[in-house]
Amino acid sequence: MKRQKLTTLTLGALVGALVLFLASCSEEEFNPSLTREFSIQSTFNGATYKIKVGLPLDYNSSGIKHSSIYVLDGEENFDFVANHCEEISDRYSVTNVVVVSIGYGNDRELDYTPTKISPTTGGGGDFLYFLENELVPRIEQEFSVDTTRNSRAILGHSYGGLFGACALAVNNQLFGNYILLSPSIWFDNEVSLLLEKEYREKNRDKPQLVFLGIGESENLGRMQAPFEAFYQTLRDNYSSISLSKNTEDDLDHMGSKNPNVIKGLTYYFKNR
Amino acid sequence: MILVLAPTYGFAQREPAASPKDHPTRALTIEPGIGIHTNFGTDLLLAGLIQWNPYKRLSLASHTSFNINNLLQRDFNYIKTDYNYSFNQKFGAGTTFYSRKSTHTLLVMIGAKYTAFKETVYNPAVDKVSASISALSPDYGLMYSHKRGLKKYFFTGRLYVPLYPWPVKGSDINFVDGNINNIALEVGVGMKVK
Repeated sequence: MKRQKLTTLTLGALVGALVLFLASCSEEEFNPSLTREFSIQSTFNGATYKIKVGLPLDYNSSGIKHSSIYVLDGEENFDFVANHCEEISDRYSVTNVVVVSIGYGNDRELDYTPTKISPTTGGGGDFLYFLENELVPRIEQEFSVDTTRNSRAILGHSYGGLFGACALAVNNQLFGNYILLSPSIWFDNEVSLLLEKEYREKNRDKPQLVFLGIGESENLGRMQAPFEAFYQTLRDNYSSISLSKNTEDDLDHMGSKNPNVIKGLTYYFKNR
Repeated sequence: MILVLAPTYGFAQREPAASPKDHPTRALTIEPGIGIHTNFGTDLLLAGLIQWNPYKRLSLASHTSFNINNLLQRDFNYIKTDYNYSFNQKFGAGTTFYSRKSTHTLLVMIGAKYTAFKETVYNPAVDKVSASISALSPDYGLMYSHKRGLKKYFFTGRLYVPLYPWPVKGSDINFVDGNINNIALEVGVGMKVK
């Protein structure tokens, strides 16, 4: 009886500790009074995207045109990115940005991949058209944001990073800043490297800021070498690039995401 | 982990307990085994546990593991894996629950992990580029070891749940992905040495 009680108490304490630990892991919601939301249907692919816009604290009072960061996988990343934009810009006493979170309208695998190698891939072109012709114009019409290429950034992880790498190659006039985390450069026999090579002459002299992040423990035989190839290509061929890469010690594909978001945003705010 | 261990603990209590001195774990045991990680089972683990129970409820252990990682996909989309292995050495302490023909040991393990791998992109349309990683990191977590049999040789099965990088590198919920992928499942044959 005594032993049963001890067992129950021990298990109860363990479960309690686990609940407390998981609660401490939850991400803090970005200030709702600074968040605007709307849905937009793309005429290119028919999908409806839920958009969240995180505004800087001084958005209404400053009267300035803010830079903007477009965040892929927005439903997962918006709060973390918006909170850290506020924190990092404050730390370095620089103007904060408008954070535009793009939720899922289609499966992310469809929207973020450039070529069709299965029924669920290859919608990246349509998604890029949607950004260029529908979402970005609407944001720049409805919010007080700078409308120049150099004021726009895109942040993506994994397939989102692949999409950002392809956007850099094929539509370089849309974004001037790229935060690409664990990008799936391996996709379709490194098609993003081929696209970069194809469009290099058009892009190589344009100013751009690129941050590349990866996890040291991403060892499934597909991440590290293509990532390094993309980094070396940018380093060796782009004359006006502000380029940085970071490898997060002991972290894998998902674990390295948020630490690299912080380092990517820090690099962006210090060097844009 | 709690869900796995809780029934085991209950089971250990319900079965009629034998005298601890009858059990191989009442002595020094060597338990070689093979295993996989839970990342789709693509890593092959060659492992060994040495356990010594100096007292009925005190277990001390040393666990060594050499892992050949990503064994099944060494060439993918023009990306060749040149080598990919890791070496883990951990020491631990815990307790053992004795039932009639088996024992259940729970251990807290701590040690180090060395990982080395190299990949090369050899796509003919782009420059050939290699990337290599060589890293030493802490390795700590919880191990459950089950031994079945009372004679000199016995069967053994182990489950190791790594906890690093929690909480050393932070409490990011995304870290759990790496932990889940690196849970080790091992089976083997044990031998009572003394």
